Amino acid sequence: MESTANVLELRGLVKDFLSVRAVNDVSFDVRRNTVHCLVGENGAGKSTLIKILTGALPRTAGRILLNGREYAPRSTREAKAQGVSTLFQELNVVDQLTVAENLTLGMEDTRFGFLRKTSKIDRMLDILHSLEPSIGPRQRVSTLSVAQKQIVEIAKAVAAEADVLIMDEPTAAISEGEIERLFRIVKGLRHRNVTVIYISHRLDEIFELGDTVTVMRDGRHIATKPVAEVSDRSELIRLMIGKTVFEAYQERSEPPKEIVLSVKSLRNHKLGDLSFDVRRGEIVGFYGLVGAGKTELARALYGADPYRGEVVFRGQRLPPRTDEVIEAGIALVPEERRSQGLFTILTIRGNVPVMNMGKISRHGLIDGARERRAARDAVAELHIATNSTEKEAAKLSGGNQQKVVFSKCLFADADLLLLDEPTRGIDVGAKSEIYGIIRRLSRQGKSILVFSSELTEIVNLCDTIHLLYEGRIRETLRNGPGLDSQHILHVVTGGV
Amino acid sequence: MTSEAMTARAEMGPSGAFAAKLSNESFLSLFMVGVLLALFAVACVFVPNFYLPRNVINLLTNYWYVIILGIGVTFLLVTGHFDMSVGGNVALTGVVCAWACQAAGTSPNELANGLGLPYGAALALALLCAAGVGAVNAFFIVRLKVPSIIVTLGTMMLSRGLAQVITRGAQRNTSLPDVFGVLGNTFLPGTSLKVAVLIMVLLVAAAFALERSTVAGRITYLIGANAEAARLSGIKVNRHLTALYLLSGLLAGITGILLASEFKAGVSSRASGYEFDALVIALLGGVSISGGFGSVLGMFVGAIILSVVTSAATGLLLSPDWQFTLKGVVTFLAILAQRFALDRRRA
Repeated sequence: MESTANVLELRGLVKDFLSVRAVNDVSFDVRRNTVHCLVGENGAGKSTLIKILTGALPRTAGRILLNGREYAPRSTREAKAQGVSTLFQELNVVDQLTVAENLTLGMEDTRFGFLRKTSKIDRMLDILHSLEPSIGPRQRVSTLSVAQKQIVEIAKAVAAEADVLIMDEPTAAISEGEIERLFRIVKGLRHRNVTVIYISHRLDEIFELGDTVTVMRDGRHIATKPVAEVSDRSELIRLMIGKTVFEAYQERSEPPKEIVLSVKSLRNHKLGDLSFDVRRGEIVGFYGLVGAGKTELARALYGADPYRGEVVFRGQRLPPRTDEVIEAGIALVPEERRSQGLFTILTIRGNVPVMNMGKISRHGLIDGARERRAARDAVAELHIATNSTEKEAAKLSGGNQQKVVFSKCLFADADLLLLDEPTRGIDVGAKSEIYGIIRRLSRQGKSILVFSSELTEIVNLCDTIHLLYEGRIRETLRNGPGLDSQHILHVVTGGV
Repeated sequence: MTSEAMTARAEMGPSGAFAAKLSNESFLSLFMVGVLLALFAVACVFVPNFYLPRNVINLLTNYWYVIILGIGVTFLLVTGHFDMSVGGNVALTGVVCAWACQAAGTSPNELANGLGLPYGAALALALLCAAGVGAVNAFFIVRLKVPSIIVTLGTMMLSRGLAQVITRGAQRNTSLPDVFGVLGNTFLPGTSLKVAVLIMVLLVAAAFALERSTVAGRITYLIGANAEAARLSGIKVNRHLTALYLLSGLLAGITGILLASEFKAGVSSRASGYEFDALVIALLGGVSISGGFGSVLGMFVGAIILSVVTSAATGLLLSPDWQFTLKGVVTFLAILAQRFALDRRRA
């Protein structure tokens, strides 16, 4: 194998999605046998860049050199064959098989017969054993912890003689003790000729693990420097958010209205002792990283997950059942639009009224005229771009699908809306339209809870901001001119 | 679809292409009606007297019992669930109905001794049993989250097993009151149609109305389209599924009572394989096996297709040994055809 100093060289990489430029002229080098960290806010373009590297997405323009040679994989399989393996958050292991079977999965070389195959297994098991002796080859993968499964995948990449191993937030789902073990292994990989590209939101990990760090913001490359030259986490945070101005937020002049929702020491398996109040017409934001408990809180309030503690809405204790919560006047725009919010095989007309069928029916009989009017009104009110209310929801764009989900909630006459990642995967134009809708609803006196991992979204919209970390509210801020976004990032990444 | 029609659909002008205005369900139903007419025409050419009105009426009414079962099976299939217990349930309810009616303690023969209940009470008991099978299904599927195919295969055997226990593996056909045979052997005035056929027609009409224009019907589709979204939209998914399994059980009960009355006997082997026939006609009628799509009207058309094919085969003096093979081939072809038609339409 030739040994260029840089294992990867990115030159002017660009990726466009319809109207959005997700990766904008990105160039940097990755030195061989280092741990190269990639940081940036949500939407900074990290995942798109990674998807290009792994062959999951084609690029719009630009070049990548791998070991000094042109590199343009058309699939993850091709990327792997050329030496770029990936440890996805959704691990690529088969639970029902044993460790040994998983190691050879997809790499069975039966052509040259049985002997070669076994020697291959032996070599892989040797590698696995040297990485982590506690994992036995006959163990079923379903009995392993997430971290152990990751190690199996790492062993697989090492055995495949990968030059580059991309790790996408490997510590998001594993425990403290396991993180240490994983780090030990990752640090050892450079001696095995493996370069690691490491993505994490937990900034402290970068200082512990990284040789080099690349910061991205708004699809652009901001800086690449040795970790040793980064003075502290606040410097990283500064680079990540830059001089972001949040001019869209308009401070409320009217006096605060009465409290409509009061939560007292709410807790469950993911949430610890949350207490807060929400006023009428207020937009309250919950900001935190992936796994901080945002979705869990939204689902608990909505009665979709069990919890302990007290939730009082307009003077009445909320029952822990979704249908009754909706009847009380609360509606949820769920995190996963297509699998949780929308009936994709049904038309817009079929989707709009589902949260309040009583409004389009009498004595259980559907009034077709009222149903059609409801759909037409929704299309007009939220400017859903479609030529007919009879269009299948699956055929709408992401932004318009999300508007249909909003229209469901509005049709339920909810006075309090729970919005879980309301603009995820939506283009910029539709995003600002949705922000407009949210502001309009709040002016109409509806209270809105926004759960988001996008700081600009939270800061643009919310009057009050709760910072979540590991299922708890770490700090609560009033939005306004004095808002310190660096401090916010410091808190939600685990800083004290 | 022609390219012209496609353009028209894409534009959706004020007039709009006719085909584009149809829902996918109506399109498929019409398509299957087309298939049915084609099959009928072919059969008329080859089978003598096939076109006679008397035969046509037979074709439409032959399968009344499978069609009644098909209603419940279709609704459940639309929600993404199976009910394979309907055949066994028919046997059980027929047997229970007969057993309850048989005079008590009149004969030394065990199989001639029943509970001696009045006919009305026997009907109520039979329907209660039928609903009971549905309740067991619902309990395991809704509460314990066991896949419906497994649960209902279990209750299919369980209910037939109970029927066999009650009849000692045979049938109960003695010491039954005369009223027992009335329901199944009364003809509509001036026709050769049985009361059972009228009941079938009324049930299909009611089911179609339920499916098209009630909230309950709409909820059935919502659950099949996306159960998780339905739950998060406040729809009482569990309650609805329970109601549908009870309904399917009751429909099987009605069928069991009618068939037992027709033959003046409670036979434990009655209706074996009907659960598959009900499934097949639903699929023939375009009901999606993955849920969210389909109609009882389509199921009805599917039943007629099956009826045309089997009676044409009989008319052609095809040995009965071939019946199953033929059914299989037709099912295959019809389902492939509609798959093809739908894909073309969506493209």
